[in-house]
Amino acid sequence: MTSPATSIFRLRSPDDQVWAWRAALQRMVPAAVTLALIVATTVPIFVSVPIMPDLGLLAVIVWASFQPRLMPPWLAFGVGAASDLVTGTPLGVGATLLPLVVVFVRLVDARFTSHRYAYDWLFTSAVIVGAAVVEWRLLAFAGVVGPLAPLLIRAATTILAYPAVVALAARVERRLAAA
Amino acid sequence: MSFARREQNLALIGAVVTGAVLATGLLLLVLSRVNPAYTARLRGAATDLVAPFWATVRTPFDALGNGIDRVGDYVGTVPRLRRLTLDNAALRRAVQDRDAVAAENRALRRLVAVASPHVDIITIARFAGSSSGSYVRTAMIAAGNRNGVFAGQAVRADVGLVGRTVEAGASAARILLLTDPTSRVPVVVVRTGQAALAVGAAGPLLEIRDRAGAEIPLRRGDRLVTSGAGGLFAPQIPVAEVVDVGDAPRARPFADPGALDFVAVYRAYLPVPEAPVVVSTVPVPREARKK
Repeated sequence: MTSPATSIFRLRSPDDQVWAWRAALQRMVPAAVTLALIVATTVPIFVSVPIMPDLGLLAVIVWASFQPRLMPPWLAFGVGAASDLVTGTPLGVGATLLPLVVVFVRLVDARFTSHRYAYDWLFTSAVIVGAAVVEWRLLAFAGVVGPLAPLLIRAATTILAYPAVVALAARVERRLAAA
Repeated sequence: MSFARREQNLALIGAVVTGAVLATGLLLLVLSRVNPAYTARLRGAATDLVAPFWATVRTPFDALGNGIDRVGDYVGTVPRLRRLTLDNAALRRAVQDRDAVAAENRALRRLVAVASPHVDIITIARFAGSSSGSYVRTAMIAAGNRNGVFAGQAVRADVGLVGRTVEAGASAARILLLTDPTSRVPVVVVRTGQAALAVGAAGPLLEIRDRAGAEIPLRRGDRLVTSGAGGLFAPQIPVAEVVDVGDAPRARPFADPGALDFVAVYRAYLPVPEAPVVVSTVPVPREARKK
């Protein structure tokens, strides 16, 4: 895997160079899709109960679990920081939470390799609830103190949104593999 | 170099990078805690990117909704006309009474020389984004520095107070809604004149805290209006209606962001002075200064 940034790159044939650029761009696709999902959650609909699922967190978990190389912790950091800025959360909450989630998912996936649908959904649910509790503490540290209940409601809707995000991620990956 | 060694090195580098990333995240968190304002420009830029997107996307839906509303207007027009005619007669009488009271009020104010600052409307803008993720309850509007909108301005709709601006980019701004847990609005209970704070609770209702004279009970339906304390919100803007009179009384805001398309941004009622207020010009003797 020679990135276009290295000196060996210039020794390649033009065709090879194009291919390398495409490969580099394709590696950015999961992050781009995740960012698009985060922007989608800021749709101007106002509901007093936080029913909007955290699609960004879900996408990060799904990619960290299925294609760990496409969602390394540093990328999750970037996604989390962008999410903080877009949603108005204190900067650093998402930027800490998402890399932590990626590290946790990688650690667990290194030990259990089952990828049955029900198992994955259950595991993701556990991660989401855990992330809600961690986010509660991180928010409190950043000065936004509140009850845990709204975060748990959102965790529930996030769990329900899992099939949709998995389907989207699978489509994107199939397109990437075909290209 | 053997492959095993290479793998080991890669794993080590990966662990170091991960540690650095987590440390950076925590550092950002500490900075957020110490000084929430340090990312103001970055946040303004992010708002600028997202708001135009939704302002564009929602246009066809708004058009559709307006069309449906227009069709709906024709249904039940006659009963509505009759009701409005009656309302109009009642309101006319109320306006006449009000004019007399207003004239009297003006005369009295002139008598005691009350200074009432002029309240300027800066702009009227459309909602272009929301965040109801964790606790944060903010909205984005499609107006920013270019339109004269900056952080620390009051936002209201015709029915009542909506919130305040907390971040502003060039063409978009973020509003802290009343229901955000960090939102605190100094209010007055209209019936009793008690001062209190309307505090957001990340739910549909506001909590009423620190009420002066808490032994006087609130009643359901008591109206809360801004008191003007703090200088951001002008006095007498409707805020909420008391719906729960228990130990922790709660009130429902009049303005529901979900039912609003447009909001008006107002200049702060009494802006914070730019220069620090000088308390005394007498020089402090060298011995009294802190080392």
